[in-house]
Amino acid sequence: MSERKTHESDRVVLSVDNLRIHYATPQGDVIAVSDISFELYEGETLGLVGESGCGKSTTAYGILQLVQPPGYIVHGSIQVDCTEVLHLEEEELRKFRWTGLSLIPQGAMNSLNPTMRVKDQIIDVIESHEGKQNDREALRERIFELFQNVGLPNRIYNMYPHELSGGMKQRVCIAMGVALHPTVVIADEATSALDVVVQRIVAQTLVKVKDEIGVSLIVIGHDMGLLAQIVDRIAVMYAGKMVEIAPVENVYANPLHPYTQLLIDSIPSIKERKPLKITEGITHDPRNPPSGCIFRLRCPFAWEHCADAEPPPFNVEDKHEVACHLYDEQFEERRTNALATLANP
Amino acid sequence: MGSFSLNYLLRRLLVFFLTIWVAATLMFIIPRLAPGDPISAMIARMSQFEGFVENADLIIESWRKRFGLDDPLYVQYFRYLGNTLRLDLGYSMGNFPATVAELVGRALPWTIGLIGISTFIFFTVGNLCGALLAWYKSPKWLKVMIPITMSFTSVPPALLSLLLVYIFAFQIPIFPELNAYGRGMVPAFTLEFIGSVLYHGFLPSMSIVLATFGYWALGMRGMLVTIEGEDYMILAQAKGLKPFYILYRYMIRNAILPQMTALTLSLGLLINGSVLVEIMFTYNGMGSLIYASINTLDFGLIQGTAFILIVSSALAVLIIDLSYPLIDPRISLEGR
Repeated sequence: MSERKTHESDRVVLSVDNLRIHYATPQGDVIAVSDISFELYEGETLGLVGESGCGKSTTAYGILQLVQPPGYIVHGSIQVDCTEVLHLEEEELRKFRWTGLSLIPQGAMNSLNPTMRVKDQIIDVIESHEGKQNDREALRERIFELFQNVGLPNRIYNMYPHELSGGMKQRVCIAMGVALHPTVVIADEATSALDVVVQRIVAQTLVKVKDEIGVSLIVIGHDMGLLAQIVDRIAVMYAGKMVEIAPVENVYANPLHPYTQLLIDSIPSIKERKPLKITEGITHDPRNPPSGCIFRLRCPFAWEHCADAEPPPFNVEDKHEVACHLYDEQFEERRTNALATLANP
Repeated sequence: MGSFSLNYLLRRLLVFFLTIWVAATLMFIIPRLAPGDPISAMIARMSQFEGFVENADLIIESWRKRFGLDDPLYVQYFRYLGNTLRLDLGYSMGNFPATVAELVGRALPWTIGLIGISTFIFFTVGNLCGALLAWYKSPKWLKVMIPITMSFTSVPPALLSLLLVYIFAFQIPIFPELNAYGRGMVPAFTLEFIGSVLYHGFLPSMSIVLATFGYWALGMRGMLVTIEGEDYMILAQAKGLKPFYILYRYMIRNAILPQMTALTLSLGLLINGSVLVEIMFTYNGMGSLIYASINTLDFGLIQGTAFILIVSSALAVLIIDLSYPLIDPRISLEGR
């Protein structure tokens, strides 16, 4: 897409290291996020994809320190601009929120307080971080500017959320999310509940605002088509593991992990009606994941070795990492055969 | 903030007057279905003391004429409706020549005061306790204390007043056991008199508050548990708002709406409960008046007191109803 600018900065603004999140259940812990690590560069847009239940939203809430009970963070490290989020005291965390990390929520329909005016919900976030604003006129101008950034009319200033359409509510959430110019913004399925036209407008607004304000963005979603248009890099998650992370062009042109290949193959095409190759959801019990590779039960190329050892991330091309034994140097022959079957099924 | 139109206001007023008309009609019919009539009952009582009453038949006849009890029922009914419209509730047959309006006028402020203040206290305290029970930051000892205090909720207020009188008027005599103000005092707007009223009103209103606030605390806590799962609560947390601000602006503010609805629904029940409490304390309000009027089969007074109570609770419901758009912006009372 022409509207997307690739970023060049190498400065890391968010680094997630070995993050593990469990949900406690009476039958044992469900492993929602299993030792994932990734980095986000300044000004970059990173897409986080995967099917429902793969742990992408849990990862986001983990980064924001908002994992709701019975979920809890087992271990890991989350650094935003060299601040270790997991070590913050309650009051420090409160101040860090929204200035360091902000959230554009999943259910924008219900994400605004129904009994507060739109302006008051933006003012409260400004005032709880920057103190009481005595210059009300300047405050109003500041909010109008935010509205303008996301393409909202000024007349909604005094309105209540129920008086807005879904797309407007979502844009209010975007305006709110960038109000304090945070370092990192996480958009958790920000467009999922909208129709395709509004989806597109909201997604473009998101990218435009991100570029204007210069924040780094993590976009979580399952719509591969929409993500392809707005992100710089894509991280693919499967059952709590990050299986592949690469610049967006590489992922679509040359997907390496068998799961990514299936995922991209499942994008519906208007030219042909093809059967869905990837059928059922995650098959194993999330309390007892299979040994070795997490994907081996559904992988068309799995062999004995996959059950023995967990694949480490292999750096295949520049910035293209994949966690699959096929990309181990010693299994080169197997990889060639596998790729051949993929080309001529 | 929502708005409401003249159209809605008129419709709502119509319902208000309809309620009052139905109530007035029932008030007229029900006492006349009871056996006996007040004049014969009075003569019978007199003859118990005197042994016999001279010219009893003549007295009965002249009184029936005087009170219009010989007219056909429908004439009595329309006369009654007309009088009610003018707020002329007639004479009290038991306290002749005092009028019902006089007696009610003397008793009503006491009851409104007792119920009004009690309602204010239990609604505030109850909702606050409920909120503190649900809030993650409230201290542990509160979360133990409040449920213990709430066990009074299953006790009827009248029974609770017995208990309170026993403890705080007889065992530890710090509060008076009877009356609405000090013996020998003349009602006046003096500091001394108001102090005495508050002092005497403490136990009666405490028995209403203690018996009721737990209900509101439970309701509030239940609502807050639901609200905690809402998307806007997660966003409020992510926004890094101050915890107390989240509690009152995001949680209580949204939970108070159904509580207000419940309050309108419970007003009638509340008045019933306070009638018994008033009798316990010989508090000279509407409750005691109703009690006395039923004891003496005083038609006029029964009708008058019950009617005024119905009007006041209908009025309270009307006020809460009309103030709804002020507290819930999603409700606008526009005629559709």
